[in-house]
Formats: sequence, structure tokens, C-alpha cells
Amino acid sequence: MEEYDYSDITPLPIQTDVQDELCRIMYTEEYKQLMGLTRALISMNELSPRALQLTSQVIHVAPAFYTIWNYRFNIVRHMMAESDDTTSYLNKELDWLDEVTLNNPKNYQIWSYRQSLLKLHPSPTLKRELPVLKLMIDDDSKNYHVWSYRKWCCLFFNDFQHELAYTTDLIQSDIYNNSAWTHRMFYWVNAKDVASEVELADEFQFIMDKIQLVPQNISSWTYLRGFQEFTHDTIQQDEKVVQFATSFTADVLSLPIGSPQDLPGIESSYALEFLANHWSADPASRDSAVKAYNLLAIKYDPIRKNLWQHKINILS
Amino acid sequence: MQQRLRRSLTRAKFINTALLGRKRPVMEKVIHVADLDSDQTIQPLIKELETVTTEARHEVLQSVLDIYNDDENGDEPILMKDFHKMYLDVAFEISLPSQMTVLDASQPWMLYWVANSLKVMAKDWLTDDVKRKIVDKLFAISPLGGPFGGGLGQLSHLASTYAAINALSLCDNIDGCWDRIDRKKIYEWLLSLKEPNGGFKTCLEVGEVDTRGVYCALAIASLLNMLTDELSEGVLSYLKSCQNYEGGFGSCPHIDEAHGGYTFCATASLAILRSINQIDVERLLEWCSARQLQEERGFCGRSNKLVDGCYSFWVGGSAAILESLGYGQCFSKQALRDYILYCCQEKEQPGLRDKPRAHSDFYHTNYCLLGLAMTENSYTCASNDPPYKMKCDSNDQISSSGLTHVNPVYGLPMKNVKNFIDHFDSALPS
Repeated sequence: MEEYDYSDITPLPIQTDVQDELCRIMYTEEYKQLMGLTRALISMNELSPRALQLTSQVIHVAPAFYTIWNYRFNIVRHMMAESDDTTSYLNKELDWLDEVTLNNPKNYQIWSYRQSLLKLHPSPTLKRELPVLKLMIDDDSKNYHVWSYRKWCCLFFNDFQHELAYTTDLIQSDIYNNSAWTHRMFYWVNAKDVASEVELADEFQFIMDKIQLVPQNISSWTYLRGFQEFTHDTIQQDEKVVQFATSFTADVLSLPIGSPQDLPGIESSYALEFLANHWSADPASRDSAVKAYNLLAIKYDPIRKNLWQHKINILS
Repeated sequence: MQQRLRRSLTRAKFINTALLGRKRPVMEKVIHVADLDSDQTIQPLIKELETVTTEARHEVLQSVLDIYNDDENGDEPILMKDFHKMYLDVAFEISLPSQMTVLDASQPWMLYWVANSLKVMAKDWLTDDVKRKIVDKLFAISPLGGPFGGGLGQLSHLASTYAAINALSLCDNIDGCWDRIDRKKIYEWLLSLKEPNGGFKTCLEVGEVDTRGVYCALAIASLLNMLTDELSEGVLSYLKSCQNYEGGFGSCPHIDEAHGGYTFCATASLAILRSINQIDVERLLEWCSARQLQEERGFCGRSNKLVDGCYSFWVGGSAAILESLGYGQCFSKQALRDYILYCCQEKEQPGLRDKPRAHSDFYHTNYCLLGLAMTENSYTCASNDPPYKMKCDSNDQISSSGLTHVNPVYGLPMKNVKNFIDHFDSALPS
């Protein structure tokens, strides 16, 4: 790392001079020095290599210090304009950012900074983003910011070709990964115009296979319902799906509602919820819906009793 | 007691009772349908694949059930108010150790979390002396009266300004502090953060745009009684596009995963805009209700994620807002109380926490208390009334910790919200 001279800069205070300040943090001397210098440079709006160097140090110790990301962006934009090769200058910045990203998986600011850099870049590519995204998801398969950024990238580059296979892999290794399931819906919504009926039917089969594997999984059932609604105008699978859902409910709907202990166990309360919702839509099957909600309330998903009662009230 | 535990375990059958009660090393296995079919020993009721998700949940479930088992002797535990007060008072009495430097950019948040926790537990626990110190600190960060950054010399930020305004509202206009807020400047700043898609940037240049930013902007503007059409233009359509097929809301309008924090931000924003009927409310109710876990009794923030005390407010507050607008109660308030009182506090360590074995912190203390407040009252709000006119009645079926009445839209005591908004003239100073 290059050594820069900051001896001409007088650090500014980073603490108020309020007597008995509430929640005053006992900063270390190094932190005070570093942030004081940074404040001074920011106040002069110095856009220089040594300022850039300083922001790296600050981000290293305090990645959530959002002010520094803005300052760094201004420096980068300025220096990029002065460099001979903007592309390689920004690529270098992205390389630096990759490392910071991997070291700070929970950080909020990195992602909007990344977006800003890509918008600035003369020839950004999705290919460059995929490895770091993959590493981040390997480390934490439900990292919210990473998934959200991945979606942003797909839209920014208008490129969805990797997404279906990627979510298949992730669902394969953790069938409960709701982030992967929602990303899959994101894929279909954006691919709808190009998806054929065969592909949509295959997707129904994929979902049903996953439910067969683990029937009591909220992610796959919610996805099934979402996908069914989403494809409703294109492909009719209602009958098949209802029959499929019924197979997890041990025929409880044909039994009289007795006391909870007399009712058999079922493989999936979500199947029953799915059916109840489906039947609610049609007045002819409203009685079945009411019965299913009753069963959920007394036996199969009792903690949500208030919701089931609300559903019954709406139907009655 | 034994009976209750047995009941918990019976209910846990969907999460594979055979595996409960012992710790296992992390392992992932992929089982193919074909293998399952040929293996007659696998019972349908325990059809569960062991993955990182189930592994993490079983671990939490174990510690939660241990507590329910040990502690349940018939009486509901009480909120250890005096004990938690100690934790909060200390935060306002001593300087914070250097490890707290991670919160350097969140200083107004600390003031809000601690002051609000005190006031929610008892109206007079936030003393005049402390109020003055809150005012001193915030106006030292922003001497001209806002907008506010995370600390001295930091860029103005929507989240910091939201926290600062909340903290000031708790100070009851002491020494006329409310008149030191520069509403006009804050208003113009809010306008400058507006994006073409209806969202708000959290700060100029590279700030993120998401439902959290929208909520902060709308909360600030409505608390300062300056939410104009100009400011809220396009916001509704932004919010609507953040509700996904799951029923909850994500951070951005591109089918982001539904999340407790963002769902609260969107629901509260819609309440401020009086436009909750513009979204799919039934599905939102379903989503909120599905966050309550049968065995843990508390809320998780996303499907197949772990229970966490802070969602007692993010999800419980969303549900309370829906309740106030006449959509009924969609969760079990008693079960949520159990989780907060049994699992989010412990005798050895003051303050409230995410889950058993976690340490308490200011953030969780505040949101667990707000969540508890949601369980002790019922809420009503006439559909044409702005949310600060919401009414709060005690819930006869549930014992009370004597908490201050809280407005779910703002996460602040009802009375402070009302007094604060009433203080400001709806016309902006020119």
C-alpha cells in the first residue's frame, strides 16, 4: 500500500463538545485520528489519490460509515475522468470492492455503491459480477442484500440465462431456501414472454417433485400458489394441482370434524391451506373451504387460529 | 407443566420429532425421490431433509423448548422492568466502550432505542435531564436543526433523521426543542431524495432506494405535519410493486423476498398514506400470520428463517396496523407474549434479546418491548383518520405489563406522536 503524506491536514473533531454527551463512544486514538483526517479532507472536498487511500482505510475499520462511501464515489468519479483508461480504472475499483464485499457479508452500503459504479462503467458485464455473487451466496445462502443485488444485475444487464439453473442447484442443496424460491419466481416473471407451455408445465412438475420430497415446506407451497396464479392465463393445471394437494391431506375432508385427537395426522398443513384458498374462490366449493379452515384452526395449524377464523367469517 | 411440554412436542411433529432433543453435527444430504420411494423405513410424517435450514432451526428449537419446559410452572413470567431499566440507564450514564464504534454512524438510533424503551416501560422513566441531553446531542450533530446524519460531520441520512425525529418527539418539547427543528430544510431535503420510481434515496449520491427509505421519509414528513402531495407522489405505486406473491413486502420493486422489516415499512407507509386497501390485504394477513411459529411461538422475519424477538414488532406491528383498520387479528398475541417473556429476557442479563443464548442489545430491547406492547392492546382507527388518531384499548384477555400505549405506525408512545404532530402547523414556513 502506498504511503501518503497527510501532515498538512489538521484533523477535525469527530465528537461534539457537549458536556456529558449521551452515548459517547470511547474511540481509540487511531480511530479519532483517521476519522478526523477524513472529515478534514471531506470538508475541503479533496478528490485525490491520498484521499482515496484514506477512504480504503476507513472502510476497512468502519464499513457501515455510509458518509465515506459517498466521498469515495466522488473521488472515483473525478479520478476516472482524469485517467486514460476509464474501463481499467473502474475495473480496478471493482476488484478492490470484491475484496471488501467478501469481508463484509452483512454490509448495507456496498451494494448501492456497486450499482453506482456499474452505472458509471462504460462497458460493465454480468460475467464480472457472477463469481463474487456466487461466493457470497455460498457463504450465506439467504443473504438478503446479495439476492436483491443479483436481481438488480439481471435487470440492469437484461440477462436471465443463468438464473433458473442457479436456483435449481440451491434448492437442490437446501429445499427450504426461500430466497432461492423467490428468485425463481423473479426468473419466470421476467422470462414469461419467452417461456413455452412445455417449460411452464415442466416447472409445475419441478415444484410437485419438490413438495413430494418435503411436503411440509412453506416455501414450495407458497411458490406453487404464486406460480399457478402467474401462469393462469397461459396454462391450466388447476385440476392436477388440486388433486396433488389433496394427496397430502389424508382424506380429512371426508371425515366428520370431531375432536382434534380423533383426527388423523396429515403430511402437510400447507396442502390444506392451499386447498382452502383454492376452494374459497368458487361459491360451489365454499363449504369445503370453510371445513378446511376449521380443520386448520382446531388441529393442523392452530397457532394461526385467528387468521383461519377471519377466513371463515369472510366466507360465511 | 409436563403436559404443556408434551403438547409442544406433539405439535412439533412437522419438524421431525425423531430428531428433537439431541444435537447433531451439521450435515447436508441430498435424497432423491426414487430413493425415498424404495426406502420403506422413512415415515411420511417425518419427511424432512436435513439442510442448513433445519439444522439451524432445530438448534434454536432445542433451546426454546428447554426454556418452556423449565420455566413453565403455570404463571406467566413478568416483564423484569426494573432490571431492564438498569441496562438502559447505564447506557445513558457512562461512555460506550470502543467496541461500540460499529454504531458510530447510528448515533441517533441509539438515542431513540434507549429513550423509547424507557418511556414505553414507564412514562416518567425518561427524565428531563436525559431529554435535555438528547436535545443537546442531536442539535450538536445538526446545529441548524436537521436533517440529521449518524454523528458529527456525517452526511444527512434518512434513517438517522428518522431516528433523530423520533428521539426528539420523546422529549416533550423540553426547552422548546421542537421549534428548533428546521422543517423547511428537512422538507426540501426529502424532496431532493425523491426518485423517479416513487422511492427515496437514503442519502444523496450513492444511497440505496428501498421500502425502508420510503417509510423513513413518510414517517418524518407526517410527524412534522408536512406530508404533501408533492412529497408522496408516486410512492403508492412504488409500494404496491414491492408486495410479492408471498404476500409480504420486499425491499425493492423487483420480486424481492418478503421480509418482516420491509413489510413493516411498507405497511406503516400505506397506513400513513391511508391506502392500505390498494394492496392485497388478505395475502398480507396470511403472510404475517405465517411468520408465527407454532413451537417457538414468536415470529420469524421470512419463510423458513429463524425466530427473532425484533420481529415481534416488525411483524406484530404490521399486524396491529391491519387490526386497527378493521382486518381482524391475524396472530396469537398470547403466544407472542410467551416468546418475548420466556425467551427474550433472562435473569442473569438485563435488556432483551433476539433469542435464547444471544446477548441483549438496545435494538432488540426496543423492538421486543414494542412487540410486547402490541400484544397488550387492541387497535382501532377510522378509515378516514390519519394513523396518529388511532385508538388503543386494553385487551381484557391478556395480562398487562402496564406498558405505555404505543402507536404501531411510528413505534412511539401514542401520546408523543399526537402531541408532536399537533405542535406543527400544516402550512410549511416559507
